[in-house]
Amino acid sequence: MDGVGNGPRVLVEFSFFGLFDVSISQTVLSSFLVMVVLLILSWRLGKGLQKRPTRRQVLVEKGVSILYDLVEDTMGKHNSRFTPFIGALFCSSVCGTLISLFGGVFRSTTADLSTTVTWALIVTVMVWYQNIKQNGFFGWLKGFTEPVAVMTPMNIISEIAQPISMSFRHFGNIAGGGVLTTLIYGALAAGSSLILSWVPNEIIRSIPFLQVGIPAFLSIYFDLFSGFIQALVFCMLTMVYVGAACPPPEETAA
Amino acid sequence: MEFLTGFESFVGVNFWTCLFTLCNLLILYKFMKKLLFKPVKNMIDSRQKEIDDLYADANQSKEAAAELKSRYEARLTEASEEKEAILKEAYRKAQLRDEEMLREAQNKAAQTLRRADEQIAMEKKRAMNDIKDEVSVMAVDIASAVLARDIKKNEHSELIDSFIENLGESHD
Repeated sequence: MDGVGNGPRVLVEFSFFGLFDVSISQTVLSSFLVMVVLLILSWRLGKGLQKRPTRRQVLVEKGVSILYDLVEDTMGKHNSRFTPFIGALFCSSVCGTLISLFGGVFRSTTADLSTTVTWALIVTVMVWYQNIKQNGFFGWLKGFTEPVAVMTPMNIISEIAQPISMSFRHFGNIAGGGVLTTLIYGALAAGSSLILSWVPNEIIRSIPFLQVGIPAFLSIYFDLFSGFIQALVFCMLTMVYVGAACPPPEETAA
Repeated sequence: MEFLTGFESFVGVNFWTCLFTLCNLLILYKFMKKLLFKPVKNMIDSRQKEIDDLYADANQSKEAAAELKSRYEARLTEASEEKEAILKEAYRKAQLRDEEMLREAQNKAAQTLRRADEQIAMEKKRAMNDIKDEVSVMAVDIASAVLARDIKKNEHSELIDSFIENLGESHD
């Protein structure tokens, strides 16, 4: 049952020229690795594009078009410029979740509240920035009093709740999955030792044979499925919030 | 910064992790946009444009071809109409000519007939004159023979001529 409810371990801690202490946690390592892998991948996949595509290019184009279609469907055609950001966010989220499958020192970046809080705050800042860009600073502030002034506290609370709910949803799902997996591993070990309790040999009795295979199926749900769904949900929410702050040009002009 | 342990570390927020995450995401965004999304999107768009252009070209050519076809068809019907008109005209002309020729022939025939009649009349007249001359000579001969007297030919021929003239007229 070791590791249940444990946060990311700090791997390195050093002093930055004596000014402040910098701590490198597992999450930072995973996040950095994910970034490097994704950068290399996008460099490799975005290289040597041709009018007559190779099979690899067809797949890449399919993926990129799916993302563009998704963004344009959710946010409108005028907001397709947000696609690269959504794509980067989605890829970081999925890969950040799935990196824990490699085990060892790698821990899901999304199982760390720091990551999801950062992402959610980026989204909030984007929404604010777009709102201020559209309506001006005071127009943005005035937006809180709509539709009626009485709603102002509610609007402010919902504005604050938005990044909190986003970050905790993502973090909770991934971290919860990890905790559950650990608990099930423990339960399976206990179950197998219970079944093997009649075996006289100490070594054979300690083999947690139930741990073979069964966790793999759970992992399909908790890591693959949940990872994809949460990344999608996070990106969908991002698109909805940012899209709401960027109405179609006709509406702005009117 | 002291790192939290246990439960607090599980749902805690670490400043440095946040900072690194932020930087990583921004870098990833910048480079993915530059390396992957922009070129792929441009490629898709330019290909789409090329295909659209091709289709537009094809449609244009098709329209032009249809227009040409209709024009040629119109011209063909025009030509056939013209042909018919020419044929009709030629037929009409031929008929006119036919009639003219017939009329001419008839005229000619009538003329020939008339001339023949005239000639016949002239011949008849000449023959009559010849006969008259001969008869006058014969009459003078007969008279001289009968009278056995030398009548001066010149004196009496006038008398006899008038006689025969009268005779001829009564004969006519």
